[in-house]
Amino acid sequence: MVYSLPEEVLEHVFSFITLDKDRNAVSLVCKSWYEIERWCRRRIFVGNCYAVSPSIMTRRFPEVRSVELKGKPHFADFNLVPEGWGGFACPWISEMSRAYPWLEEIRLKRMVVTDESLELISTSFKNFKVLVLSSCEGFSTDGLAAIAANCRNLRKLDLRESEVMDLSGHWLSHFPNTCTSLESLNIACLGSEVSFSALERLVGRSPNLKILRLNRAVPLEKLSTLLCRAPQLVELGTGAYSSGIRSDVYSSLSKAFLGCKELKGLSGFWDVDPSYLLAFYSVCSRLTSLNLSYATIRSPDITKVISQCPNLQRLWVLDHVEDSGLNAVALSCKDLRELRVFPSDPYIADANVTLTEQGLVSVSEGCPKLQSVLYFCRQMSNSALITIARNRPNLICFRLCVIEPRAPDYLTLEPLDVGFGAIVEHCKELRRLSLSGLLTDRVFEYIGRHAKRLEMLSIAFAGNSDLGLHHVLSGCDGLRKLEIRDCPFGDKALLANVAKLETMRSLWMSSCAVSYGACKFLSQKMPMLNVEVIDENGSLDSRFDSCPVEKLYIYRTVAGPRSDMPGYIRTIDRDRVNTIS
Amino acid sequence: MDGTLGLLGGIHGGADGGGGGDGGGVPSCGSILTNSKEDDTMNDQDMLAEVSSSYPVDDDLELGLGLRIGGGGSNAIQEGSRILRPNSCSSSSSSSSVNITNSSIAGFKKSAIDSVSPPNAASVVGWPPIRRAHRMPILANRIKSERKEYSSRAKSYLSVKVNMDGTLIGRKVDLNAHNSYETLARTLENMFYGRLSNTETIGRSRLLSGTSEFVLTYEDKDGDCMLVGDVPWQMFVSSVKRLRILRSPKSRNCI
Repeated sequence: MVYSLPEEVLEHVFSFITLDKDRNAVSLVCKSWYEIERWCRRRIFVGNCYAVSPSIMTRRFPEVRSVELKGKPHFADFNLVPEGWGGFACPWISEMSRAYPWLEEIRLKRMVVTDESLELISTSFKNFKVLVLSSCEGFSTDGLAAIAANCRNLRKLDLRESEVMDLSGHWLSHFPNTCTSLESLNIACLGSEVSFSALERLVGRSPNLKILRLNRAVPLEKLSTLLCRAPQLVELGTGAYSSGIRSDVYSSLSKAFLGCKELKGLSGFWDVDPSYLLAFYSVCSRLTSLNLSYATIRSPDITKVISQCPNLQRLWVLDHVEDSGLNAVALSCKDLRELRVFPSDPYIADANVTLTEQGLVSVSEGCPKLQSVLYFCRQMSNSALITIARNRPNLICFRLCVIEPRAPDYLTLEPLDVGFGAIVEHCKELRRLSLSGLLTDRVFEYIGRHAKRLEMLSIAFAGNSDLGLHHVLSGCDGLRKLEIRDCPFGDKALLANVAKLETMRSLWMSSCAVSYGACKFLSQKMPMLNVEVIDENGSLDSRFDSCPVEKLYIYRTVAGPRSDMPGYIRTIDRDRVNTIS
Repeated sequence: MDGTLGLLGGIHGGADGGGGGDGGGVPSCGSILTNSKEDDTMNDQDMLAEVSSSYPVDDDLELGLGLRIGGGGSNAIQEGSRILRPNSCSSSSSSSSVNITNSSIAGFKKSAIDSVSPPNAASVVGWPPIRRAHRMPILANRIKSERKEYSSRAKSYLSVKVNMDGTLIGRKVDLNAHNSYETLARTLENMFYGRLSNTETIGRSRLLSGTSEFVLTYEDKDGDCMLVGDVPWQMFVSSVKRLRILRSPKSRNCI
């Protein structure tokens, strides 16, 4: 006799299970659990919008409240994915507007969103609360105006790093006077001015506003006005942070910051005038997150600020921080979890900035909780990497960019194989790794052997032969995303690890040595993969089998080949392959 | 699947991609990529030279490779498609942005790029991997340093005309080559030697001391005729427009 708990009880139990992984496991237990689970799943995350179709999603999960989608491959951030590639949000939004009238949250990353879609969002979902458009493009301030005007209960509007066509700054005025629900507003990416009076009024009538990220066009003189209206802010992104030398601006700013007792995160700081840095000193002791990556201030000024922030957990800064600044971080910021150091001018051979591998070594020594690193520098050594690995076995994300491609260990002139090998060997929980510098197949051997938890790997200008890629594909059990550029990897490794590709979300290879014929073969062998070949240079039809493909994007999918590609992209169609050969 | 990667022999499938690093024969289609594959330590510059030769030399090229497909309106000026040229630096930075990332452009228009950025890291598309949002400080820095360079260059040569009473042909002197009135006066005396005095001057210049029959004056920003030597040197340099050496008795009648 099989016991069976009533549906309501099971549903209640399932409501405590939030991770997708666990939800998926629940749905596999038996048919009835599958049914109950699919009716009560409220959040969907689709890491590759082409892996599944909108209708498949809505058919299986009818009562969703929150959808998150990602479109273009990560390398699109660096202009490696050509214009028009895809990632169109429109079909998703159309389908969701039909199927999910109670949808509350939409989060899109690297997708193309149109004003029409935004308008559709604003009118289709009565209870719409959260819109996050991360690195998206294709829409204008008109679309934003529609969102502002029609979403009565909007809580979060976050445009982080999207490319928005700035038609008018008045879209902000479309928020009705009755809209008081705003909790988070991020307009930092907007190029032109928004109507300040509208902004001020909006901020003033939003008592729950916790996150406000302004754009560069908001002048420093007006910042204190906003802060006084929103002393409850937890995270603030300033606009331009300079204003000539005006003591009245300084003092009112200082006072305003003093009033923000909840402030924990600061960002913005375009065009910083160092004399205004002291204005937020009162906040420093509480700061857990500080983003100075747009601030071209020098090391002494940065150091002064950082030394006042003992509770800092996240620090983003330019290489102006220099080794001396990072030493200060190592001394003062014992709670640091995440460090990102961006290059101020990577294109000149000899920068005027003393940021070396030493800075990172210091931080790895001094900050016991450091788990996430993004570091651009001009020189690196194996010994430094080994030291970092030994100091910080708790690293989860390690992205190192030695600016010169194929730069060797500057002390020994050897490849950096051993250094990165130490990283993967010691940091057993490493989930994300980006490599740079001179690297041979050996580093991939280490990675395949040790990096068992690795989920995302970025490779550039590395390796000697297919053996390198083979090590990675055969060794990294948890690998989900692999992106490779300018490496001498060809067909052999791919064809030897075909099954692996179905266990991954996606594989990107550009300027490598994979042949068109291999792509055809892969596509034939693996019907669950879309093998997309990108070739802007010439006609895809006239490709010989032996020709190398320019760019290759392989991803698993249940939706079949997509039909929204521009002419220079082709999904190697299995049927076509059969007729040609 | 063949776990040994088929390195011991042929691999199933038969698609031979031209060898990743084996240095096999060059495939017949002559694609640009084959050259770079044969030698993975090959200079990026060589690869770029290949790339540029296969692209049409076109003004359209400047707008980016991908623009002919999709994208409309103002969105078409893809951020990643502009070149930072030396003379465009002075224009507003907020709308344009650095693209040192289009390899074909870099290869072809190398001279323009080189004057702004060096080869290698700068000539490779999408390298170093920096998101668009974080390229702004780079541009800002670049503009700042170039402005500084330009203005310091401008200050390095400041020449003014010098006319002397009774002499038709005037001279020019670089004020930035001097940092005091003494040296300036000596230079002027050397220029107009023989007319100012028949004897070599020792010690303080006679022009300045008032013992010469000539007096050194200058025309300032307001057009007034002023005696040289009254104000601090730097202030003098910033306001002087031209110099005149006048005969003493006539010094009141400038023009």
